[in-house]
Amino acid sequence: MSKRNSGQIRIIEAFLAIFIIFSAITISAGLTTKSTATENSNLASVGLQVLLQLDADGSLSAYIDAGDWSGMREALNLLLPVGVSFNLTVYNAEMRQINTETVSNGAFSGQEITLVEYVCASRNPEFRYYVVRLYLAVAK
Amino acid sequence: MPAVSVDTFFACSLMVLLVLSAMTATAKLLQPRINSSLDVEGAERYGETAKHILLYAGKPSNWGQESQTIPEEFGLAEAGAKNPYTLDVDKVSRLNGESLYALSYAQIFTSLKVSDVSFRLEIKPVFDVRVNLTAIFEGFNETVYTFEVATEKSGAAVSAIVKAYIIAENFLQTTSVYNSDEMAHFNLTVPNDVEGPALLVVFAKSKFNDRIASYAVYPFAHNLSEPAAKGVFLKLSPLNYTLTVIPTSAGTVLSSVYALTFNYAAPLTQTASNVFSIPKFADASPIVLVATGWNSTKFFAEWTAYPQIPLQMGVDFSTMSNLSNVYAYEHLVAIGSAIYKCTVWLGGPKA
Repeated sequence: MSKRNSGQIRIIEAFLAIFIIFSAITISAGLTTKSTATENSNLASVGLQVLLQLDADGSLSAYIDAGDWSGMREALNLLLPVGVSFNLTVYNAEMRQINTETVSNGAFSGQEITLVEYVCASRNPEFRYYVVRLYLAVAK
Repeated sequence: MPAVSVDTFFACSLMVLLVLSAMTATAKLLQPRINSSLDVEGAERYGETAKHILLYAGKPSNWGQESQTIPEEFGLAEAGAKNPYTLDVDKVSRLNGESLYALSYAQIFTSLKVSDVSFRLEIKPVFDVRVNLTAIFEGFNETVYTFEVATEKSGAAVSAIVKAYIIAENFLQTTSVYNSDEMAHFNLTVPNDVEGPALLVVFAKSKFNDRIASYAVYPFAHNLSEPAAKGVFLKLSPLNYTLTVIPTSAGTVLSSVYALTFNYAAPLTQTASNVFSIPKFADASPIVLVATGWNSTKFFAEWTAYPQIPLQMGVDFSTMSNLSNVYAYEHLVAIGSAIYKCTVWLGGPKA
């Protein structure tokens, strides 16, 4: 290579270097995704508090023992913040679903769904416990 | 100068220029992500602070009941509560500026011990009760008032059962229990020889869970006597199941003091001058305390709730959103046996 061409080669090198840097930035920007962990943890905390408050006086297990699914749905609807969609499923000790009606205020449509799992004991003399799964999403 | 030196100079200048451009572009691209990660950390920190306020009883743990005690460490939880998010009725009442024993924002801020965080706290019933006086039928001996009561949450109707009390001079009447799927309508009759103004106290409980309760108080004119604004004649401060009544002017004479809940109504027993004992009702309902009396020739009925809810205290962030990162945390709390909604706003300087 002649000395006359070495300057032009350096200019080409500079362009190549910049091309590589911009490519790296573009690719790395695409790889990073915004964290939704905090939003989900807040929603899970709200859901857990609702179940805790309903269980504090035995209401939660009373709804389940009595099969009062509409009562449970209305109570959840009232206690959860406006704009939160929910779907609740109750399982017995053998993990068989026992709610015969849907306990929900509407279908989820592509939102990020948060799950809260809660175990509550029946206050009946015969010992029974239930696994309550509450799916939550912010309505969009 | 040889041509190769000029080429090299231009190449180096171009490299420096383009590398600087690349750095600027990188900074522009990544700054929102850096801010977002700072926001996540801030939100987590503020979230834990909000939980701390509601889960910690403070120091001393009985600071709510002692009227002169200013907490060393701030927390609203009931000491020894069986369930989390159970707040102390007196600690909550001492946040209300209407109380004689209210803590100032500065006292709370100091005892919270988080120097870079401003806060606002709101506690209110899960749903609202709205009262309207829709018709008045004046007879010779008595007047019939028609009320419309709506129970709603954010504009949506709430299925509730409703009960009301009407109070005037030496007069306390209770209504039946009404269903309110959207609205409840009822008539109340007040004799014309009873001095006004009168006070309607409405309690509502969700049909599906009786711990979800709310109330409203509606003063109205009777016998041409218009009600005065709240707190004109008396300052009512309940604390540790004792009601202290402070007249705002000389010449005020108390007639009767009542405690009302959804299921119970009782006159209060006076234990000392202007001090009354509040019964501990076995009812998941706020207690509304009503004091009636005379100020020279004017009859009055003053009221407060125990716990003194709804309350809003702290910094108003609505005008400071440009200066602060503000986060709101909504929690469900139990006070007494009833469930309330508590929102904690926390904010600090923008990062």
